[in-house]
Amino acid sequence: MSLLETVDVKVKFGGNVALNDVSISVEAGSVTGLIGPNGAGKTTLFNTITGLQPLTSGKIVFNGKDVTKEPPHKRTRMGLARTFQRLELFTSLSVRDNVRVAGEIRNRWSFRTTRMDVNAETDRIIMLVGLADVADREVGEIPTGQARVVELARALMIQPTLLLLDEPASGQTEEETEQFGELLKDLARNDGLGICLVEHDMALVMKVCETIHVLDFGTIISSGTAEYVRNDPTVIDAYLGSPESVG
Amino acid sequence: MQTFLQYTILGLAIGGSYFIAASGLVVTYTTSGIFNFAQGAIAMLAVFTYWQFRWGWNWPAPLALLMVLGVLAPLLGAALYQVVMKNLRGTSEVTKIIVPIGVMLGFQALATWVWNPTSSTPRQFQKFFGPNAFVHFGSIKVSWHEIIAFVIAIAIAVGIRLLFVRTRSGVAMRAVVDDPELLQLNGGRPERLAMISWAGGSFLAALAGILIQPMIGSAMSAGQLTLLVIDAFAAAMFGRLRSLPRTLAGALVIGLTTTYVIAYFPSKWTWSSSFRNSLPMIFLFIVLIVLPQDRLRGATVLRLRERFRMPSIRTAWIAGLVLMVVVFCLKVIMERTAVNTLTLALTFAIIALSLVLLTGFAGEINLAALSFGAIAVIVVYHFGTTGSGTDARTTLWGILLAAVVTALVGAVIALPALRLRGLYLALATMAFGVFVSRMVLTERNERDIFGLKFTIFTAGQLTIPKPKIGPFDFNSPDAFLFLCAGLFVIIGIGMVYLRHSGYGRRLAAMKDSPAASATLGMSVVRLKLSIFMMSAAIAGIGGVMMAAQIGTVNSDRFDILLSLSLMMITVVGGIGYISGALFAGLFLIAFVQMLDLTLKKFAVDYSSLEAIFLFFVSAVTVLPATIGITMGKNPSGAVSDIVNGLDQIKQSKSLVITLVGLEAAIWALTATDVITNWHFVILTMINLFIVPVIGGKVLLARAMRGVPKPVPPELIGIDRPFTSDDLAEMDRALDLEGVVVPSAGTVREGATGVSA
Repeated sequence: MSLLETVDVKVKFGGNVALNDVSISVEAGSVTGLIGPNGAGKTTLFNTITGLQPLTSGKIVFNGKDVTKEPPHKRTRMGLARTFQRLELFTSLSVRDNVRVAGEIRNRWSFRTTRMDVNAETDRIIMLVGLADVADREVGEIPTGQARVVELARALMIQPTLLLLDEPASGQTEEETEQFGELLKDLARNDGLGICLVEHDMALVMKVCETIHVLDFGTIISSGTAEYVRNDPTVIDAYLGSPESVG
Repeated sequence: MQTFLQYTILGLAIGGSYFIAASGLVVTYTTSGIFNFAQGAIAMLAVFTYWQFRWGWNWPAPLALLMVLGVLAPLLGAALYQVVMKNLRGTSEVTKIIVPIGVMLGFQALATWVWNPTSSTPRQFQKFFGPNAFVHFGSIKVSWHEIIAFVIAIAIAVGIRLLFVRTRSGVAMRAVVDDPELLQLNGGRPERLAMISWAGGSFLAALAGILIQPMIGSAMSAGQLTLLVIDAFAAAMFGRLRSLPRTLAGALVIGLTTTYVIAYFPSKWTWSSSFRNSLPMIFLFIVLIVLPQDRLRGATVLRLRERFRMPSIRTAWIAGLVLMVVVFCLKVIMERTAVNTLTLALTFAIIALSLVLLTGFAGEINLAALSFGAIAVIVVYHFGTTGSGTDARTTLWGILLAAVVTALVGAVIALPALRLRGLYLALATMAFGVFVSRMVLTERNERDIFGLKFTIFTAGQLTIPKPKIGPFDFNSPDAFLFLCAGLFVIIGIGMVYLRHSGYGRRLAAMKDSPAASATLGMSVVRLKLSIFMMSAAIAGIGGVMMAAQIGTVNSDRFDILLSLSLMMITVVGGIGYISGALFAGLFLIAFVQMLDLTLKKFAVDYSSLEAIFLFFVSAVTVLPATIGITMGKNPSGAVSDIVNGLDQIKQSKSLVITLVGLEAAIWALTATDVITNWHFVILTMINLFIVPVIGGKVLLARAMRGVPKPVPPELIGIDRPFTSDDLAEMDRALDLEGVVVPSAGTVREGATGVSA
């Protein structure tokens, strides 16, 4: 059983079909890539998985449970975390408080089971993702690349089993991306996290993802290993335009 | 049957007029994303202007109509957009709500200024073709005016529908709010379209006002006409601010129900007229309850222009102490009336704290703070006092009970709206405020509620004695002044603690991004509910203090317009700061009153210039609104500006010493009766505002003497040659330290070569 499955997810905005019967799966302990040209529906798919966007039809199965009707916060409490492509940081708080408040929110809903020591965990996560240098700065002042890492740190604070990352590496330097890739692999391999990665940096995707789904105009056009997807002619067409459509 | 038909037609005509106003709201909201709270105020201005042309100056009706509807109203709308609303892009929802409210209050004050409500000749506003123009359908007679109103409403419904769906600019208008930048890229002109729609919205408001005034059958009243917009709000909500057919349906239902209540409720039901007046509010509430949940949104703009920095707990304690000392020093020199004014200002500051907590910390809006105060006052009046006559005191338990009841009422009001966007909560609270004013505070008859004989608002006024808490009696003005100051300081410091706690951080998270908070597992509704209840309780306590200071309060003290002013001034002061609340209380009560008194004193002292000074007295009434409107330009508030200014002063010890020393001297002169209170105020103003400016300039000039003017980095090498310091600085900035660049030598030579 997969950690997450979307089954024939369809989303329509008026007459526009943003997602057309999309079925993907994400396994625990591995990194799954979700790629596709701009406007393919990647963020919309993330929104349906987290519950921010209602479905027209289809269902979302997480941990073997149908969560299609659950509100966002209930899904999170089952172990689902995400980052946002358009940054959703808490701009009135410092970097450290952005991370800390996530732990505090978590302690509010998991107090019956496991309460974490928020301060210690905040320090650990900040070290883990490499934000120690900027921890006490205002979150609005740090560069975008690092702001995306704050989003990741915040998501990690709730100790999720599934992590959805929406373009986490855009705005990062090459060196930062390198470290970031290693971190994702570690998280999947050592902590058993299921990670779904939306990313335009193909080098990163090819390096860390075991499975890749390719989305184009709201439809999955290819799924498989990095090797398979890279050589799939439909994928190449989607990215470069098919020879027939030229001229 | 005849009554039924008669009232149905009247209901349709009134509903039709509501629809016209509501459609204006929908149009402006759709194209600019700003909910025009001033819609009713525009209608009110149009009614008064039309009256002035038509009956004041005896113009023929067509000319007056053309002038008001064809020229002035659209111009006003377009100007409003160009001058005020355009600046609101990229500001928070709070600012987008406050600025139109500022416009509304401004128009309100302006109308009262120009058309004196206490004028001796009553203003008659007649139906079209005069009061006797009727058409007979069988046994019923209908006035032409009603027919015109209904027909115009239908025509406008069809017209706008066609405009939005069929025409190019209509489609573009709908695109503006979705993504103005995209529209611009596609060759649309969002700014122009938004301006046109504001002109149209203003036209519709004016039309609705002129149609509705003679049908509601009461004298022209600026306040009543301004608040008439709530009926339009309810109708627009029914269409979820989008659908015009549903808006029309909602407007007609409201129009019909209100007339049926007049027609069929037994006249012995004394509450039926307040019930009729409250109907739109009740309707708005029902709509809010049945509206489906909004999608959670993230921050709508990447970076809001508002920024609030929370003081540390230590700073809060110091500031609290300073405030207490200042209050003490002022008490020593002030006359009794001035002490009373200061106390009243502080009670308003406490009420404003509830707004800072709710809006500044949690991003939610309450437009009826004083109505919660009214609820608390009613509770204290009935259950919270001991003794009688001069021995009457408010008990601690009474105040606490009032706080609890207000919190519970707050929960009931907020619950339906919490699932929805901030705007809806703002509207729900406004509806509640008007409901309290029209339905609760008009309850002067004894009612038999569940076997309990009870009069809610006895004789139209309630007397609230000063509190006595344990052994401490706060009956004397001085003691009560310190109680209010102390209460403000304690609640304020408590709020700073709260903001630094996990709860406060969760509030900030919810305010900054509801979407991210939910995806971290936060149940947004529960947090919103708790903070709203807490805020309502503070408003309640503040309200009780306010009533205790005044002594005997009538319903005017809890007027919705006063709540709106307080909210607006708090935003002006800085809604994210405790000091913003203090600013609001002092400004709204003390400063305005002082200005008013000063100007009136001048008018008496210099009688030849009386007219000019009395003009300024009137101008003062428009002042708060004028300041509110400027919020679009500086959304973080005035206090942040002042604090930023102080930061510069703090750099110089000598300047601080000069300021404090001068102020102490002024105070000492006043305390020894060498100069009057009035001089004290003026000198203090000069000392606090002008001395720092001059001192800063002098200090800066002295510091700058001998120091060459810094050259901006991009001009180094042009205005003056590169120095080795510059090069070291560049290396550091580029992180080149220790990096051996093979051609470094040549680059450096080249660089110096250029300047040589």
